[in-house]
Amino acid sequence: MGAEITAIEYHYPEKAITNVDLAKEFPDYDFSKFEKKVGIKTRYVVNEDETALDLACKAVNKLFDNGIDKSKIDYLLYCTQSPEYILPTTACILQDRVGLNKTIGAFDFNLGCSGYTYGLSFAKALINSNQAKKVLLVTAETYSKFIHEKDRTNRSIFGDAATATIIEASDQECVGDFLFGTDGNGHDKLIVKNGGSKNKYNANCAVKDYGTGNQYTDNHIYMNGPEIFNFTAGQIPKFTKEVLLKNNIEKEYIDQFVFHQANAYMLNFMRKRIKVEPDKFYINLENGGNTVSNTIPIALKNYSQNITKQESIIVLGFGVGLSWSGGLIKLNNKL
Amino acid sequence: MKKQDFINELAEELEVESQVTAETVLKDLDEWDSMGAMILIGYVSDNFDVTLNADDIEALTTFQSLVDKIGVEKFS
Repeated sequence: MGAEITAIEYHYPEKAITNVDLAKEFPDYDFSKFEKKVGIKTRYVVNEDETALDLACKAVNKLFDNGIDKSKIDYLLYCTQSPEYILPTTACILQDRVGLNKTIGAFDFNLGCSGYTYGLSFAKALINSNQAKKVLLVTAETYSKFIHEKDRTNRSIFGDAATATIIEASDQECVGDFLFGTDGNGHDKLIVKNGGSKNKYNANCAVKDYGTGNQYTDNHIYMNGPEIFNFTAGQIPKFTKEVLLKNNIEKEYIDQFVFHQANAYMLNFMRKRIKVEPDKFYINLENGGNTVSNTIPIALKNYSQNITKQESIIVLGFGVGLSWSGGLIKLNNKL
Repeated sequence: MKKQDFINELAEELEVESQVTAETVLKDLDEWDSMGAMILIGYVSDNFDVTLNADDIEALTTFQSLVDKIGVEKFS
């Protein structure tokens, strides 16, 4: 008895923003260097009347178009920080919109870049405790709605997307052990301060300056780049070793490390610290950028296209919270 | 590491096109931005095992101020 990832689909919004488009808005900035260092050429953003749930429905419907039987799905896990409303739960609306059974379990969970790996671990737990047989794990995010139009850096890095993954009961255990980490002391390093229950949305919010030409208000995303970088560089290489140890596997036996695609510079920095060769460490965010909890499933889908035998893959997410989690999965074929 | 070698190497990492000295003000460089801050933190961490936080970056002025922050004793 075990759990296995058997399908992944993803969806980007139609509206593409290239570095050429951004250069028109920010003529004083050299986007060619950004492209080289950060590795992003194009990101996709929703229109004003389009939401993360809309993207999620499209990703889920791709699964159904490819032959997944929706009537067999018995649990829905929905990872987002861009919920449709404060309440109700977006997962409930998704159940209705895509026509899932009324007998399913469904809930939202609020995590960012560590969300997908949390979801995999939870899906495995539901299956192995005999509470579900076929879990639909959805990630959907529209950070573009929270980013100030004059915040060049965050507009360059983040993109919107949604993904849908099927994890189902299987004879072989293909979802290994997962570990977690949490440090709420860093909760204000990546934050949207207003609009929740502590601080109301403020229509007359003061514009603040990052000091690098980027602006934001407390209604928008604020990211303390240096602190997020230090957290990642300090914590994640060590954590990767712990995940390998927990799964009783040496890094030489890992076919691919698929980390949250934060930015290419940061990923390469960690790759060198972990001492993994570039061909075993996935870096591809040229098309789509950093899509928060969506990057790992998008990467798995794309990476799996060339799989010819069973592969062992370390998946690892880290970011807002601060929160991190990772584990070992095995992919048997192209998703 | 020699101070000027450090300054030259870091300038190369940051892809600074103009000539830099210890007196060059980092934030006056056309190339200085949030990516530059990240690259600087990564470079200093790798080469000196010193972690610069957001306040350290905020307080930086010249390349010399960075050398002082890392510790002059680490340079020849």
